[in-house]
Amino acid sequence: MKLITHNMLTSKCLKGVLQGYPLAINATDVKITEVDFNPEFVSRIIPKLDWNVLWGAADSLGHSEGLPKTVEPKYEDQEFLKKAHHVLLEVEIEEGTLTCPESGRQFPISKGIPNMLLTEAEVQ
Amino acid sequence: MEVRKADRKQKKFAARLKCSKGIVCTSIPTKFIVLCNVGQATGLSKEAIHLLLGEVPHNDTLPKYIAEKGESHSYLIFSSIQSCEKFYNMNNGKWKPDVKGPPVYMSYVENVPNSEIVCQYKDPQGLHIFSNFISNDEESLFLQLFDSEDDVNSSNLKNRYVKHYGYEFRYGSNDVDLTSPLEEKIPKECDNLWARLRDCGINLERIPDQMTVNKYLPGQGIPTHVDKHSPFGDTILSLSLGSDVVMDWKHHSGQHVPMLVPARSMLVMTGEARYDWQHGIQPRSWDPVLEQRLVTAENGEEKYVKVISNDTRSRDVRISLTFRWTRSGPCECNYKTLCDSVDKSTDNIEDSLASNLEELHVHQVYEKIAGHFSTTRHKPWPKVVEFMASVPPGAVVLDLGCGNGKNILKRNDILQIGGERSWGLLSECKSHVQRVPAADCVRLDLLQAGLRDECADAVICIAVIHHFSSKVRRIESISTISRLLRPEGKALITVWAKDQTKSNYLCKSKQTDDSVKNDEIHATVGGLSLPVHENRTQFQHNDLLVPWKLRNIKENKIAGQPESTLLRYYHVFEENELVNLCNEIPNLRVEKSFYEEGNWCVICKKI
Ligand SMILES: [Zn+2]
Repeated sequence: MKLITHNMLTSKCLKGVLQGYPLAINATDVKITEVDFNPEFVSRIIPKLDWNVLWGAADSLGHSEGLPKTVEPKYEDQEFLKKAHHVLLEVEIEEGTLTCPESGRQFPISKGIPNMLLTEAEVQ
Repeated sequence: MEVRKADRKQKKFAARLKCSKGIVCTSIPTKFIVLCNVGQATGLSKEAIHLLLGEVPHNDTLPKYIAEKGESHSYLIFSSIQSCEKFYNMNNGKWKPDVKGPPVYMSYVENVPNSEIVCQYKDPQGLHIFSNFISNDEESLFLQLFDSEDDVNSSNLKNRYVKHYGYEFRYGSNDVDLTSPLEEKIPKECDNLWARLRDCGINLERIPDQMTVNKYLPGQGIPTHVDKHSPFGDTILSLSLGSDVVMDWKHHSGQHVPMLVPARSMLVMTGEARYDWQHGIQPRSWDPVLEQRLVTAENGEEKYVKVISNDTRSRDVRISLTFRWTRSGPCECNYKTLCDSVDKSTDNIEDSLASNLEELHVHQVYEKIAGHFSTTRHKPWPKVVEFMASVPPGAVVLDLGCGNGKNILKRNDILQIGGERSWGLLSECKSHVQRVPAADCVRLDLLQAGLRDECADAVICIAVIHHFSSKVRRIESISTISRLLRPEGKALITVWAKDQTKSNYLCKSKQTDDSVKNDEIHATVGGLSLPVHENRTQFQHNDLLVPWKLRNIKENKIAGQPESTLLRYYHVFEENELVNLCNEIPNLRVEKSFYEEGNWCVICKKI
């Protein structure tokens, strides 16, 4: 699971959970894969993300070094875009769990795929 | 010299049987003999053995002959070791069933395969079989009357000779056209059957007005079916001529009861047997011998049970006369499962039933077929490519129900996230997305997708929503799509259409073969009975089960289906049905709706 994906996941479908966001990351296996850098894509996608959540996720994995805590609405700095690219697309969680901030429900990540399936009893 | 040669041959055969079939031969006499080089596959019949024994001067009762299907060895079971030994000494290496062929080599064995099945179910209620209903002379008379092979009015139905009287039974629609009666009525020779039925306690208010003659050569049969309810009354008769046959009766609860239908018998179907059971005849040239055997139950009570024995009997030419009473209007029976007058839609079923149906006939099936399914689905569909190509750079695209990820394109300027329930398909998808720069996948269910509101610029949902079994759930799934879309975001949704006439799905040869449609199979899940679709034919219902044939894998058994067939649930859509569903979602506006290759498709926009 890439951190860009984590940025979109929520546990709000759980009964009694309002936001379910962001999910806390507990990774036991993280891998770095090289992905072709497309600065235009990165600069376009950043405004669609929750930057705070991305920074927090990167930080919890020890990959926040050099990543600003806030972003200005200008994304022309190649070094910044490259760093963002790395965190968004190249850092991947292979094994671990995601935890709902409200209910503590855990969602396993296995073979790089987060399992967000819920049982019928858990659903609103 | 001769003896030694026979000995050598016999040892060779014994070794071969042990090696290829695991059959252990013994030199100590037992009650069982394996005939090493003759069997069902070599065409050895029980009659040939009886013929041989007829020439043998001993008074033992005839041995039982077990010839397993497709095997070129077989077994004889004797009542005592002595008679077995006598037979062995007299015939081993000497007997030639075919004068020009090799002799039969034999060996004693410790035991024989036992494929006997004890039937656990009671005979269908409302089914009566009156043996010796007509005399031999009457049988000959009927055979003379109805066994005319070159009749010009007969139609060739899968090689079975069929002829109609009173009204033509239409195999396409499984009914009769009451406005066009046939000139030939049921012959008066049948008239004395009616009084005899009354003597048997079968009350007929009037005499039947429709008769169908079917001629079955050995090897021919009829698929399991129920006589369609609404066109015919609550009693159906069948008079058998020429040969005994074993008829299989199947109930949707899973009960299976074979019934011997002897020549010269009258079979009467009423009530449950008529309306709630399906019946058929297997296409083979022999039938198992059904035995009534006295057994002692656990509570010490003795009772008779029906046993499908290892023994077989060959069939002769059989002619059946089926008598029906025509009627019009919807059926008024109390057996809804197989009734053609009951609305089979699952639109309004309860949520728990719907989710159970989907768990069994969608989720579990996709897990089992994932690998095979994936090899049959590699190319994205042109309309999907067209839609995906129109997505602007920098967009977030969700592919909900992404399967193996074949619709995730190799674009490096958009983010593509696939969501899928099936673990098997997701694993395939994961390896696919690893070759795409900005793509990933998540295990989720469309009804509770754990994704943020308004996170997507575009959503595709290809061939997914037809797997939701109630209307409420189909609306919920589209509602999820709407929730995930940003304002101005667009979705492409496609579902299977009921109308397949303009697609490649239909197989031409099957369309013209009316007999295929004749015999509808049903499968039951949680009290719901759904029709099983005949692949490559036009859909007959909106809610149905579509078979998926696995290759070489032994999977779950569903009554009446080969072991490797799984049934997937589909709700196939009528024209405008998908548009109407989308229109029920407040923030969604349908921009375009079209039919393409057997699918209904919409492009809608979040407003
Ligand atoms: Zn009915």
